[in-house]
Amino acid sequence: MSIIQQHTSASLSDAWRTINIDALDPDSSQNFDTTSLHPPLPEINEADVRQLNAQVRQLLRGGDAEGALRGCLETPVYNGSESAKTVTEVLQSIKASDMSPMLERIHQSPGGSELLDVLIKYLYAWQPLPAPVVLLGWREAGHRVPLTPQQTGFSQVGSRPGSTNESTGAAMSVILSWHEKVIDIAGLGSIGRCMTDWRKV
Amino acid sequence: MSQSLRPYLKCVRSSVTAALCLANFASQTSERHNVPEVEAQSSPEVLLNPLVIARNENERVLIEPSVNSVRISIKIKQADEIENILVHKFTRFLTQRAEAFFILRRKPVKGYDISFLITNFHTEEMLKHKLVDFIIQFMEEVDKEISEMKLFLNARARFVAESFLTPFD
Repeated sequence: MSIIQQHTSASLSDAWRTINIDALDPDSSQNFDTTSLHPPLPEINEADVRQLNAQVRQLLRGGDAEGALRGCLETPVYNGSESAKTVTEVLQSIKASDMSPMLERIHQSPGGSELLDVLIKYLYAWQPLPAPVVLLGWREAGHRVPLTPQQTGFSQVGSRPGSTNESTGAAMSVILSWHEKVIDIAGLGSIGRCMTDWRKV
Repeated sequence: MSQSLRPYLKCVRSSVTAALCLANFASQTSERHNVPEVEAQSSPEVLLNPLVIARNENERVLIEPSVNSVRISIKIKQADEIENILVHKFTRFLTQRAEAFFILRRKPVKGYDISFLITNFHTEEMLKHKLVDFIIQFMEEVDKEISEMKLFLNARARFVAESFLTPFD
């Protein structure tokens, strides 16, 4: 028997090398069933979410910011964007000097550290994730940021950073200062729990 | 350091510190291999939720933790085309010398300018808080460096243009 294999046009091309055979094997670790890792999500329908948001807004209008924040955190809505907006509204309406004492009070109350874990999740959820989650980044083609049109003339005032995105920058800084305060009180463990929890807000 | 940079860096520092909890973990797909799981993406259960920390839409950090490795990608501030070119040249200079930096990734993750890959072997050999300090210091320095380069470039361009146009005066 010859050790030289018979070549066909199919085996000469390189296309078969790019097939990930692990994905085809049901026993491979790539096809691990992650549903066993998901904790059960609380049953909550859209009407409940709307009602909750309305309640929170009412508390906020009434001046009870702490109650509004507690209301958001006690019944977290997973996989929803509507309640994240409400939480951001609540967070932005609270003064910087009130943050630490309020978080301290929430942390001291029974079940308080869970509430702060939920808050950390909301804070990270608010950060804009780039649209496609990058899988196998090392195989991706090189990526260049799309160029902005060059300013003509000598005026560089228009292209100064912060001039166009003032509002988003301000909202981000509110989120970042909340993050700092929560970490001061709840510790780094809350970030760890946020990373490992499969229930995403 | 500017007032808005401080909370941003503090947030990155605490998130990176929390993510750098790494343990040795052999590959589950191929025997006697030990690969960074965040790169291989071969077992979904050992990958943790990625975290994004943004200062504004031009400046953000992506932290992708896994059981034995963390990938940290930084998008450096680019206000105009000149800064775009400068950042590209600067990160290219660094990534070509990736061996000397140990944790530097040769290629950035899509959508970011520079990526670091920290594995459990790095955290065993080096001090964890020094690694975090390195990342934070890099983020502090790089903005300064880029704006300095831009100033030099403009000064040089002005000088060249002046001396070029003198004969026509």
